[in-house]
Amino acid sequence: MLNIIDKFSGKAQLILLPLVTAAGWIVPGAGFWIINEKKRAAIVFVTILITFLIGIYAGSIGVIDAHSDTPGLLGTTNPWFLAQILNSPLILFISNATAAGSYPVYGKPAEIGQLYTSISGLLNLLCILNCAYLAHVKCAEKEDNQ
Amino acid sequence: MLSLLNILASFTAPEEIKMNPQSLLWALPLAASIAVIYKAIKVPKITAKHFIKDTGLLFISIVAFLIAASIVLIIVAQLATT
Repeated sequence: MLNIIDKFSGKAQLILLPLVTAAGWIVPGAGFWIINEKKRAAIVFVTILITFLIGIYAGSIGVIDAHSDTPGLLGTTNPWFLAQILNSPLILFISNATAAGSYPVYGKPAEIGQLYTSISGLLNLLCILNCAYLAHVKCAEKEDNQ
Repeated sequence: MLSLLNILASFTAPEEIKMNPQSLLWALPLAASIAVIYKAIKVPKITAKHFIKDTGLLFISIVAFLIAASIVLIIVAQLATT
């Protein structure tokens, strides 16, 4: 199988890094898959997905709420949502579904749900950054060998 | 089909989680996730044996630190309230 790194050299690297970053955001672990780190990709995908699912199981999809009732530093944007959106842009669909307030959640379930869904998003951000760095290192190694 | 709908429905209503000591156990799956992801991006080459060992050690370290931090907080709370 042809390694995708072979296709991207020199200035083409400017395409690979955003591609890897975007893929890692759309589907957790996909960035690692693109740069041929399939074990890492599978581990990241399964772990992020399970953590996120535990969060919405505990607190329901109501914990994905883009709007806060009390305005803060970010206006009416819920600060937890900034971390949750890092899981995947698909979170926007859930956010739209919960926008009308049809899934109210309070107390401990809300706390647990927000923690799990937000931390899975922040872990995905860590993976995206690491994936972009790995892609850059692999490209640099390839150029050095040439 | 019905069981699938039941599973999906469980994501639209929150679970009943009480404020009791057992609710602290919710920290364990989160600690496990953090340990797995951290090791997945840190180890240069992933082999099942080493990965499980490293992840297990990190998980135990996180839990041990949580227990130590809670003991310190309990002592501080005791001192502050007596």
